[in-house]
Amino acid sequence: MSTRVGQKKAARVVRDQIAREKRRSRTLWTTIAAVAVLVIAGLIGWGLISAQDSGTYTAPPGAVEDGTGIKVGTGPVQIDIYEDFICPACGTFEKQTGDTLDRLVAQGKASVVYHPLAFLDRASSTDYSTRASAASGAAAEGGKFREYAKALFAQQPAEGSAGLSDDQLIAIGRSVGLGDAFAQAVRDGKYKPWTAHVTDAASGDGVTGTPTVRVAGKDVQPTTQAIQAAVG
Amino acid sequence: MNVTVVSPPVSPTSVSRWHSGRPWLGTLVRLGLAAVWLVAGGAKVGDLAGSGRAVNAYDVMPYDLAKVIGAALPLVEVALGLLLLVGLATRLAAGISVGLLVVFIAGISQAWARGLQIDCGCFGSGGQLAAGQSPTYGPEILRDLGFLVLAVVLVIWPLTRLSIDSWLEKK
Repeated sequence: MSTRVGQKKAARVVRDQIAREKRRSRTLWTTIAAVAVLVIAGLIGWGLISAQDSGTYTAPPGAVEDGTGIKVGTGPVQIDIYEDFICPACGTFEKQTGDTLDRLVAQGKASVVYHPLAFLDRASSTDYSTRASAASGAAAEGGKFREYAKALFAQQPAEGSAGLSDDQLIAIGRSVGLGDAFAQAVRDGKYKPWTAHVTDAASGDGVTGTPTVRVAGKDVQPTTQAIQAAVG
Repeated sequence: MNVTVVSPPVSPTSVSRWHSGRPWLGTLVRLGLAAVWLVAGGAKVGDLAGSGRAVNAYDVMPYDLAKVIGAALPLVEVALGLLLLVGLATRLAAGISVGLLVVFIAGISQAWARGLQIDCGCFGSGGQLAAGQSPTYGPEILRDLGFLVLAVVLVIWPLTRLSIDSWLEKK
């Protein structure tokens, strides 16, 4: 083997080694950059949700102790109803079972805790779920939660629509006898933080859809028969 | 470094055609997977709380953890989509895609096996299905398997045309 060939060979070995070294450091740096991008993105999401959580809320009068719903009646058996004002199945449930619930309360057999949550804000272009729930909180302040909730379900907007406007929410309130304080609370969005609390607490309690019905803490089918059977 | 192509011995012309065509094919795969992540993440970033509820509906972790994961996931998906779009650290991004998709498939499978009635929440929405709606776990899993194939292809052949990776490689 001549020296020239040997030199060429040696030069190639060195070149290859440098190229390998370069590739390795390039891979290292692109990996670090990519991981940083992903981690930062995840932290931004975490930061955004934590910021949403930190709001303090005022529960309306008539709310249960932990502020997660409005209690109606004083009967011994507790029924929990988790509803979203734009959810079509909740509208149907109210139509079919609402009167039965009112009767159970009137007969002193059961108390009903209504949890007006906002799972379906994306189902309207104006966050109707949140606005309607907050308005129902204002109605509770005026002592007419149940009347107002029924009136809202009677005029339930379709999913995918803009929902009812604040003015319409106020007009419905007036139709059940709510006054200026109610109107002001709706306009100010006074109970929106409370709605967020109700929604978050329901998720924490394992509610993943609406309507969810629980009798004495146990899941029950959202039908008149099932509820009556469970109450006994 | 020599690139060894795992393919049966074929005529020289088809080998060279594979060599010249593969990086372009890879570009298509990369952009396709990027689109999947960008659409999936983009549909959820507007409602991070809802995304947390969708994760919670799988009923595999406490709500407080589901909330954090649900909030982080859409942004991570968008970031993955962007990395794949520009072709930076493609092998890593594709590898993480594989991991995420396997987790998603496992999540949907366990929901199916336990008889949960949920929407996978893959591209927004999510949560429990309304009465009368039936879950579509089979198609959801098949779809994710399709995405998984794209990601695996990119793990094997990460260098594609029109990518930062290949631009750096030439430098």
